[in-house]
Amino acid sequence: MGTQYVMKRGWTEFLEANKKAMLEQWLDCALALFPEKMGYSTPIAMVFSGALEKILSSLGKSENDCKEALDDVTRILAVQNFPPSKALSIFLEPKLILRDIMMKTTVADTLMQEAFNSRLDALTLEAFDSYMRHREKIYQLKVEEGSRRMYMALRRAEA
Amino acid sequence: MSKYAPKLSELKKEFDEKPSVLKGDYSAQEWWDRPVEFRDGNWCFPGKQEVLADLGFANPRKWAATDEDWQLPADWQKTISDGLQSRLKKYRSLKLFLDACVRCGACADKCHFFLGTGDPKNMPVLRAELLRSVYRNDFPLVEKILKGFSGSRKLTKAVIKEWHMYFNQCTECRRCSVFCPFGIDTAEITMLVRELLNLIGVNNNWILAPVSNCNRTGNHLGIEPHTFVQNIMSLAEDIEDHTGVNVDPTFNRKGAEVLFITPSGDVFGDPGVYTMMGYLLLFKHIGLDYTISTYASEGGNFGMFTSNDMMKKLNAKMYHEAKRLGVKWILGGECGHMWRVVHQYMNTMNGPADFLEVPVSPITGTRFSNAAATKMVHIAEFTADLIHHKKLKLDPKRNDHLRTTFHDSCNVARGMGMFEEPRSILRNVCNSFHEMPEDTIREKTFCCGSGSGLNAEEYMDIRMRGGFPRANAVKQVKDRHKVNSLVTICAIDRASLPPLMNYWNPGVSVYGLHELVGNALVMQGEKKRTTDLRENPMAGFEDGGDDDE
Ligand code: SF4
Ligand code: SF4
Repeated sequence: MGTQYVMKRGWTEFLEANKKAMLEQWLDCALALFPEKMGYSTPIAMVFSGALEKILSSLGKSENDCKEALDDVTRILAVQNFPPSKALSIFLEPKLILRDIMMKTTVADTLMQEAFNSRLDALTLEAFDSYMRHREKIYQLKVEEGSRRMYMALRRAEA
Repeated sequence: MSKYAPKLSELKKEFDEKPSVLKGDYSAQEWWDRPVEFRDGNWCFPGKQEVLADLGFANPRKWAATDEDWQLPADWQKTISDGLQSRLKKYRSLKLFLDACVRCGACADKCHFFLGTGDPKNMPVLRAELLRSVYRNDFPLVEKILKGFSGSRKLTKAVIKEWHMYFNQCTECRRCSVFCPFGIDTAEITMLVRELLNLIGVNNNWILAPVSNCNRTGNHLGIEPHTFVQNIMSLAEDIEDHTGVNVDPTFNRKGAEVLFITPSGDVFGDPGVYTMMGYLLLFKHIGLDYTISTYASEGGNFGMFTSNDMMKKLNAKMYHEAKRLGVKWILGGECGHMWRVVHQYMNTMNGPADFLEVPVSPITGTRFSNAAATKMVHIAEFTADLIHHKKLKLDPKRNDHLRTTFHDSCNVARGMGMFEEPRSILRNVCNSFHEMPEDTIREKTFCCGSGSGLNAEEYMDIRMRGGFPRANAVKQVKDRHKVNSLVTICAIDRASLPPLMNYWNPGVSVYGLHELVGNALVMQGEKKRTTDLRENPMAGFEDGGDDDE
């Protein structure tokens, strides 16, 4: 009801006005996950910056259309040396970023903030699913690789 | 010096902007004090006891990298120290590489493992520093000269663990050396440290088992001669089924003009076997007088990832066999490190191969004087020459179902400088070929992430991280040009790129170059072809479709 309405009305303009700043901060948080903060011109930063922007834009729409972008981010995170809790923490960051910006811009619209936060929560859970899919994929790859390597032996066994 | 090495002014700028470890921002903590942590996915299973015993290698025992105690031999420190000293005397390049680095940082972000992990110890400069810091402690004079740069440290068990972690996150690809103003080759430092680690039994089964198999039966998987023949004959039957052409290869035939040696992955693995089918069709097409050895049944040389002596021994086998069979020269298949060994080390180790002749193509008469010392010709050169002289009947439309890009394998590209031959072949056998971004191909190519014997299944996480920059470049041509086929000329690539693509770019398949040649070759007496060598339908050749044959 209310939240949906607010998201549609004020949020789109608010986002347009602040997207660049939010994105910059968010990207910085994401890149700082790595032991050495990733430079902006690295492949990981490029993928992150494209994907995070799509995710942020999709938060302004009522339909969730950022599945692919979410996958792009979690695909990178799922093979890193840090635990899932740390990896997925980047999806919590925008809440803080938004709060800071709102405080600065005096657009203290709690309803909008709430709507935004609950959208983010849903997104975080989706990201978790996506992260797990990639972990499963890793195990699947190991199995497939084994059989590819033994291709001729398996073929003989089947014949 | 490389043309990609930056100028001084650029270096200063790079240094100012480069990651901070180089500038000692970790003041509370030395950079090497960050502990290493082994856990599932980031270490390879150690060499099995029987494998080590078989090779006569040091310290066979049951252990794992996750163990607290690695059961090193009692005198391990002396072994490493002596080992380093003797190698410093033997290899002047090593001493040079250890002394010459000015820590400009130009190499720092050039390594695919750094780009895939953000781990500072994966910056080539710090990777080398892992050894250099110990070397400095052992050789105080150098330390004095270099004073003011950074500290030295004692060789402890923690250092060994760290070496094992980070010298196994280097695929010896040499990308960093392309950007170094001094041409410092971190790959050679890695090779040396792995050799030192083997002296105390710190090792990797995925490397040592193939070495042992190769040493015993002649190939990585330990396939015995009859099975080796059986595999190839079964591929020949497939070819006959698909094309109606009998390719009749011969084995161990004395007096053949050419000995053909390829990585054994082409004889037993998917998709390597399709590349093998391509070779067989090509040889039939031109009527080459060749034979395949069941003893020198491996082109790959995992000795290179183990020790210099092992590399030499496994390389020598190919030449012994060429001599025994009395061939004129050797034709080598699509492989990576086999070519690095042949191109860079063979002549010093086992050369000159005077009993062979300087290779001459029997079809075109081209004399491969670049192979005058090694007497071994790369199949991409051989085929490119055939095409250049219009000796092949090709129908590139038969590959119209494939939209290709080309991955330069590190060893062939940076290790021997071959860039154009495979591209020229590719342009002639298919109609859709798109290059990946310029800074990810040719001498600046990104490694598959699994080279130098790191393509163990249990290492999948690290491999996916290290392979990310390559995969990301493929994604760009996939998005832009709908590329669905990644073509390569290395057996490790054929084994390791399929999972890499499956993870990062589902929908992109991996092909050997000569598989595409095999698809395109119009063979004498062939039956109407509707499918490629994988039995996938070819676009525009469906039954009843228009075949302009
Ligand atoms: S290895 Fe070469 S590029 Fe890297 S820091 Fe040292 S001198 Fe600079
Ligand atoms: S040789 Fe390759 S893998 Fe090794 S440090 Fe250099 S760029 Fe990295």
